[in-house]
Amino acid sequence: MPRRQPIRRAQESQPLDAETIAKRTKRHLDELERSNYAEPSGSYHGMDEDDQAGKSAKGRARQTVSDKRQLSGPSAKRKKANMNIRTAILYRKNFATLIEESGLTNISSSIPTYLTAAAAPPKEPTRPLCTVCGYWGNYKCKKCAMPFCGLDCRSVHDETRCERRVI
Amino acid sequence: MRRAPVIVLDNGASTIKVGVTTSSKDVRIVPNAIVRSKGDKTAYFGHEFDACKDFSSLHFRLPFERGYLVDWDAQKAIWDGIFSDQVLNIDTAETSLLITEPYFNLPNIQEVYDQFVFEEYEFQSYFCSTPAALIPHGRLFSAPGLPNPECMIVVDAGFSFTHIVPIMGGVVIWSAVKRIDVGGKLLTNHLKELISFRQWNMMEETYIVNEVKEKCCYVSTQFSADLETCRADKSRNTIVQEYVLPDFSRNRHGYIRQPDALPVDGEQILYMGNERFSIPEVLFCPDRIGLHQAGLGEAIVQSINLLPEDLHGMFWANIGLIGGGTMFPGFVARLMAELRPRAPADCEIKIYESNNATTEAYHSAMALATTSALTNLAVTRAEYLEGGSGYCRRKFGTDYERAGNEERARTPPASVPAKARSRTVSAMKRR
Repeated sequence: MPRRQPIRRAQESQPLDAETIAKRTKRHLDELERSNYAEPSGSYHGMDEDDQAGKSAKGRARQTVSDKRQLSGPSAKRKKANMNIRTAILYRKNFATLIEESGLTNISSSIPTYLTAAAAPPKEPTRPLCTVCGYWGNYKCKKCAMPFCGLDCRSVHDETRCERRVI
Repeated sequence: MRRAPVIVLDNGASTIKVGVTTSSKDVRIVPNAIVRSKGDKTAYFGHEFDACKDFSSLHFRLPFERGYLVDWDAQKAIWDGIFSDQVLNIDTAETSLLITEPYFNLPNIQEVYDQFVFEEYEFQSYFCSTPAALIPHGRLFSAPGLPNPECMIVVDAGFSFTHIVPIMGGVVIWSAVKRIDVGGKLLTNHLKELISFRQWNMMEETYIVNEVKEKCCYVSTQFSADLETCRADKSRNTIVQEYVLPDFSRNRHGYIRQPDALPVDGEQILYMGNERFSIPEVLFCPDRIGLHQAGLGEAIVQSINLLPEDLHGMFWANIGLIGGGTMFPGFVARLMAELRPRAPADCEIKIYESNNATTEAYHSAMALATTSALTNLAVTRAEYLEGGSGYCRRKFGTDYERAGNEERARTPPASVPAKARSRTVSAMKRR
């Protein structure tokens, strides 16, 4: 009897477009910048001492840690912090906001800044690695374009990575 | 007049390296983080982390995001601890400060640095510099009987990113500085993902995985061959290591098990195969993880091509490595293998390594702080009160808009035409 393959043509005939893949890659790179796994990337709260109680956004927004410390030494606090310092401590801005507010996007690109200093893309493309085992990834998943090295890793990929990864 | 003591504070995104000129104590390395341990039910601020006993599922609050200081509340809490009697025991109003800031620090962040230094801590004077700019004061490039070279390239592979910083006559050439967005944080997180997918779920164990990275990872000079070796069965696989994960009762830190050691009951083993070299490989090949930036070797070439043509040889011959990311075994050999084919054949390439790449910038800063040269570089409190942040930036030379304009005035434009020029020049030479 001939071996029968399940028919899944409808699903497989739609490869992912480049934009979705770029989005996925960007999200992955953002994930790699996280300080902790269990929090949304880009958010830097945490540190709420009473984890269960202080969950409301309002209660957390104005909480600071720096003025609650009991420290002694010759430069222990003599006076109250001035406005500038209070503002910096109370209103934390993330890096994207700071870039926006710095006005760097408006100045001439001939002036070296954070935005111009990034290394240019490489001249030669790199050979991809298998996302499952780390060996050369000579094949690509039809559905999500992730590289893998062979049939074994492909089945692992199909079972675990693929579905989760496709947006 | 007796000079005030100087606090040298290399304010890294991962660790702070700090000391005082008047103290004979060696550099103190303090985590730049507020770390909460579930097991200990305590939050440790910076230096207090030494007391931490339970390293499982640590939660990190870092003042830095993508290499720049964004969380001043956390940063102040950590600095306060350092200045208190628990570490330095010093009155900030009676001292001067030498602090490092990231490359291309944003002007709006720089302003807050100044405010904290003078308005909150009331330092007498302060000098703010990038880590690489301090290297000419140190001993990284020192050779017996010779002064430090005029031209140098400092490669700073840090926690958040890696910079290639050309320096000429002690001044950073900002228009040729290049950045690769790969740092220790990204590498650790990448390793965490690989381990969690392939073996143990360690997504919450940043601290433990970082230790694994530091103990097991190396830079391969024969990536392809090493990949094949890792595919071989156990008896012929010379790369794989068995890492015994900490269980926090018998061993608090993990370790690499010796090949002939007998297994102990109940220990958890992490097999480190191609992860050992494919993690640091990302620095040489960021494209692998989808980051479309050149690898370290190519980025150095990009930087050199933006420098004055006749000095290229000087830069190739003086490349220095700082930052924890350069401490992987095999780093220098690999970088050499990347650079040699890209450099002109008649160029000598020399790579200078540090004994301790993480504290190299600190020691250079300390060398500067003990000389009287610092007095001329620093801004005093009185000057700040009169001239504000703008004055600080001008004096430190870290007003990038201004520095960029001055550079262009000094050197011929070398942004796009650099390559074209080099080609015509070499063609002429050949004729």
